[in-house]
Amino acid sequence: MPRPRIFGYLAVLSTLILAGLVTYSLYLLTAENIEYSGTDLNKINNFTFYAVALPLSLVSVMVIGTGFWIGWTILTIKVVPPMPDIADKKDYSKIKAFFLCLFTLCLGALLLYGISIKNFWALAIPAAAISLVILGAIFWVGIAIITTRSTLPEEKK
Amino acid sequence: MKICLLSYRGNPYCGGQGIYVMYIAKELVKLGHEVHVVAGPPYPFEENGVIIHRISNHNYFNKGTNFIKPHKPFATLQPLNLYEFIAAKFGIFPEIETFSIRAFLKLKELLKTHRFDIIHDNQCLGYGFLLIQRLGVPFVSTIHHPLTIDRSTWFEHPSTFNLKMKRILYYPLLMQKIVSNRMYRIITVSHNAAFEINKAFGVDQDNISVIYNGMDSTIFYPVKGVKKKKNSIIFVGNVEDRKKGIIYLLKAMSLTRHPVTLTIVDGGAPNRSSVPRLIDKLGLNGRVTFTGKIPIDRLIRLYSQTEIAVLPSLYEGFGFPAAEAMACELPVITTTAGALPEVVGEHMKTGYLVPPRDAPAIAQGIDFLLDHPDIRSTMGKAARQRVLEIFTWESAARELVNMYREVINAYGRF
Repeated sequence: MPRPRIFGYLAVLSTLILAGLVTYSLYLLTAENIEYSGTDLNKINNFTFYAVALPLSLVSVMVIGTGFWIGWTILTIKVVPPMPDIADKKDYSKIKAFFLCLFTLCLGALLLYGISIKNFWALAIPAAAISLVILGAIFWVGIAIITTRSTLPEEKK
Repeated sequence: MKICLLSYRGNPYCGGQGIYVMYIAKELVKLGHEVHVVAGPPYPFEENGVIIHRISNHNYFNKGTNFIKPHKPFATLQPLNLYEFIAAKFGIFPEIETFSIRAFLKLKELLKTHRFDIIHDNQCLGYGFLLIQRLGVPFVSTIHHPLTIDRSTWFEHPSTFNLKMKRILYYPLLMQKIVSNRMYRIITVSHNAAFEINKAFGVDQDNISVIYNGMDSTIFYPVKGVKKKKNSIIFVGNVEDRKKGIIYLLKAMSLTRHPVTLTIVDGGAPNRSSVPRLIDKLGLNGRVTFTGKIPIDRLIRLYSQTEIAVLPSLYEGFGFPAAEAMACELPVITTTAGALPEVVGEHMKTGYLVPPRDAPAIAQGIDFLLDHPDIRSTMGKAARQRVLEIFTWESAARELVNMYREVINAYGRF
């Protein structure tokens, strides 16, 4: 098997294992601990907590803010109405944009409230989402390496 | 002078920015300057005296699955490439931003052996430019038009919520606003574009220099002895670019008295989705021909075989297709939007101007010009004369050099 393909398999396997571990540790293992052994982030030193919480919440607020900005732009952008000949379907995007704004506002408020009361999930969900996006991208690249032709076309040689 | 031009896409076939870089570089060399071009793919053609430095890019945004290069299978896992890959998968267009960072790294390396007097960017304005400004070389940028216009004209068309989301993510407006306000000077290609840049990005009008684009009248000229096709019109541009206003031209075709036939010179089949449906809907099948990408000599021949060029744009920062047609002595029907009146000139003398988004007015213009071959001929000749007098790359390069000197002198005072 060519070397790149071996590394491709390694990337796919390692990301799958890591993704599994992230999910298991954050949601299954720790959920039990919270419920039964009473893991409490309030017991952690403030500095330690915010050293993790601030960057995570900043990234999360940026993502949620982008969602809100998209909805707000669709709601408020002023454009000339389309030519009747091309307006054959009813456009529901303003209604959807309104709900996107509402959803992102609620989500943002919930996240900030969660951080302020040092809720475990306010950290765990964004951390897992960011990790899974990066692992997902590496998994995707790994699959692409495995499935891509490993020999150079004639003109590239 | 030692000049470094930056362009995230350098090939003249990829649009106005590639044409701009190619001609400006060529003319600056003719004026005796040393010109380096730092460009991303598709790369510019080799020109005598122009030194090209290539910056690679994986084009993740446009490649669905086939993005692994067999000779560099792990390139995607490098930090900047991985960022570009993830951003592209979320619908963001990261090419501009990543080019600016790669250009900074390249310039850092080049400055060890070359002492540039000025760096001139072409419509990129990525965050990496804030780093380039720390290199101690005067840095200016050309903005052909602000992308806010592309976004708003795109929103004029009904589309799904998902598509609208994608379009909002696609245009890096915030980044360009931040960076454009930090450049030593912004250059633009028309007074209207200067006004729009000020409106969209808040760049001070005093910090914007207007230098018109040129037109190569030795390439674009009327081919003698070519017979015109009766009732023929031509449209040159990307039909999926909503600001080109092709839908208004198609609607106009359904309103004309003459049975006009339209030739569309566009980017090829992958760049057509809504327009063929509209052609069906308006009953124009058999009257519209798509050429796809064609070489310049065929385009010039097409201009010479056609009676009228129509550019129904909702906005143009300059409008190369109008100037090309004019250089080929073709009467142009175009709109009063953007910089088109600046380029085309006076209504009924060097062109035929109609309000934007006005299909009946376009139809009226087509019928009028088809009814009056003598006016067509006079208008075409006057149009070419206007191009020869005002829009030359040589004068564009000379004005640029004067502006470079001004910026370098001002920079030296700090």
